[in-house]
Amino acid sequence: MPVWLREHRWRQTASAVYLSLPVRGLRVTPANIFCTDRYLKVSIPPFLFEAILYAPIDDTNSTAKIGNGIIFFTLYKKEAAVWDSLTLANANKEKLQYLRENAVLKAHEKAKEETEAKKLTKQEHKKYALEATMKLEEAERKRIEDLKEKERQKVTKELELWKKQQDAAEKQKRVQKEGELHQEVEQLQEKKKEKNNKTSIPNEGTSETRIKATKGCRGSYSMFSENLKEEQLPAPRSAATIKINFTSRVFPTALRESRVAEEKEWLRKQAEARRTISTDLSELEDLKEEEKNPDWLKDKGNKMFATGNYLAAVNAYNLAVRLNNKLPLLYLNRAACHLKLRNLHKAIEDSSKALELLTPPVPDNENARVKAYVRRGTAFCQLELYTEGLQDYEAALKIDPKNKNIEKDAEKIRHLIQGTTQDC
Amino acid sequence: MAAGLDRPQVVSHAQQALNYTLFDCKWVPRSARLLCLGSAARGSGLLQLYELRGGRLALLREIEKAKPLKCGTFGATSLQQRYFATGDFGGNLNIWNLEAPEIPVYSVKGHKEIINSIDGVGGLGIGEGAPEIVTGSRDGTVKVWDPRQKDMPVANMEPVQGESKRDCWTVAFGNAYNQEERVVCAGYDNGDIKLFDLKTMSLRWETNIKNGVCSVEFDRKDVNMNKLVATSLEGKFHVFDMRTQHPTKGFASVSEKAQKSTIWQVRHLPQNRDIFMTSGGAGSLHLWKYEYPSQRSKKDSEGAEMGVAGSLSLLQNVTLSTQPISSLDWSPDKKGLCVCGAFDQTVRVLIVTKLNKV
Repeated sequence: MPVWLREHRWRQTASAVYLSLPVRGLRVTPANIFCTDRYLKVSIPPFLFEAILYAPIDDTNSTAKIGNGIIFFTLYKKEAAVWDSLTLANANKEKLQYLRENAVLKAHEKAKEETEAKKLTKQEHKKYALEATMKLEEAERKRIEDLKEKERQKVTKELELWKKQQDAAEKQKRVQKEGELHQEVEQLQEKKKEKNNKTSIPNEGTSETRIKATKGCRGSYSMFSENLKEEQLPAPRSAATIKINFTSRVFPTALRESRVAEEKEWLRKQAEARRTISTDLSELEDLKEEEKNPDWLKDKGNKMFATGNYLAAVNAYNLAVRLNNKLPLLYLNRAACHLKLRNLHKAIEDSSKALELLTPPVPDNENARVKAYVRRGTAFCQLELYTEGLQDYEAALKIDPKNKNIEKDAEKIRHLIQGTTQDC
Repeated sequence: MAAGLDRPQVVSHAQQALNYTLFDCKWVPRSARLLCLGSAARGSGLLQLYELRGGRLALLREIEKAKPLKCGTFGATSLQQRYFATGDFGGNLNIWNLEAPEIPVYSVKGHKEIINSIDGVGGLGIGEGAPEIVTGSRDGTVKVWDPRQKDMPVANMEPVQGESKRDCWTVAFGNAYNQEERVVCAGYDNGDIKLFDLKTMSLRWETNIKNGVCSVEFDRKDVNMNKLVATSLEGKFHVFDMRTQHPTKGFASVSEKAQKSTIWQVRHLPQNRDIFMTSGGAGSLHLWKYEYPSQRSKKDSEGAEMGVAGSLSLLQNVTLSTQPISSLDWSPDKKGLCVCGAFDQTVRVLIVTKLNKV
């Protein structure tokens, strides 16, 4: 139950009501005061003061002054009339309730309206600011354009002037040249007369050609200086050839021709191959750690091949292949072993598998591909399938044309084929 | 803003839409006329002579030839004659008298394939020595011709027997400061740059800049070789300081990656050899200035002299078209006047201002 504050005093004039409310010892803030046009409430819990006003007031302009221990209200009446009392006398509970709610609603609406108004003004301000900056920028742009335009005009004028000068100079030179031509013709005629009496003057021949050459051109040189100029030019150079080499095409070729895409794919395949380890755990549990590494097994196989223990090498490669069936070198080496063991069909199979894995063909895997072709070719020949063998040898030659051994062997096979066809 | 407008501005003066593919455009020396050459749609070569009148280009003459024309130069002709040398798609080198263009003054089937680039030296009153023309072709050879000698080149730079050939994309003369000295620089599509000395008939220097070389030019043909700019694919160009050659490291260079696209051409301003313009595959032109280092050469650890490259600064850039600008030429008579031709079939005349203040 709130404690009602009842000790208030009020007086009025024609247009305003002055209400003073003592609130001894209480701290009052503007939040405690609630006022609409018919209702006034001061709530400082647990204290409460409310007043249903006799007549509506102008709540926007009315003020409340919070002094020490007292609140002084200045309420401006909406209609200048004399109030009988501050509050409505015959206010029953329902009416009070209704009025209170109404007041609250009204306050809400007012607050909403205020925020909306604020938003609108803010938008307008923003718009205005934007337009102002746009105008400024436009002005700046125009200024630059004007400057550029002025430059352009100035420059065009200069160009016209220069052109006129050129034309004038040309005209002058043309006139000069014509005058000279006349002179030269006269001189020639004189010389011709002389020639009839004397021996020919060596200059004559050249002077005729000189005139022919100057026809249609602007020449302000006299005959003699032109002769001298001709002699000053050195004779044409004696022909010679310089042989050049171009930068060798290594892995990174001229950038626009680089087969980067293919090379990247090859490298990616290699990387992947290294990573795939087809695990078959049940059988491989009893192997040592290093024996599960295909590279180590490959090295082991190579060593055994070198010592001549081909069966052991094959075993090593087999195990390696089980672990990682994407390394082309394993198949390649195993093919070599099979060749030595005369397991020719197996050799062919392995070389073919190696070639499959050695795509895309890039300079990086050239060596491997040559070896694969050679091994397969050898196997074919030993099976007496000479034509297939020759095909493989020629493929190897295409990759590595400078290899003498491959050439010799290819020749041998060709002879063999020719020999067999002759027999039939 | 003030600083920005003190820089040279590129002002578009005139432009002309053409109905053929334009490959090269050159100013006619001592005049306000320019030549455009290219390939017509029907597969023949076209040569057009324009004159700059007011803000427009007026067509003075049109000459049609059998094969499309790729490149041309006035470099090896005298100022009176002003004969124009062209290389065409069939590998023929012709020198034309523009007053009587029906029959060439000099003609030779120099190469088996298209002549990609041509340069001339010894003419126009610049430099000394015999006038010569160099052509570089897709057949990998670079040949030097003397218009007084028929059919046979005076120098031939060809690949060794059995070597796979690379296209030669660009050639340039240089170092022609007296009657004997002359040097030819050639750029190839695999990034090779080779410098041939014609006095000793030998390869003087070679290097590889990884990307195909689109254009090489010395800053001046007629002085002791000073700088060489080589532009390439993928937006890079290199400036080599040619005064000091180190026995193993060659010439010092500075490189710049300016545009994301191919840099098709580089041309030095005839009136100031430290300013040059590069044209790019995105239709843009960049104007550069080279600043020399405080010391142009220094000694390395073994005591051999090696060059020091300077620095580059971008003065201005402008985008004129969406298609590559394949040819560029400065007027030798008016400072800042230049013509450029692009693959959007337009030829544009531009004026670059404030070059005096650079």
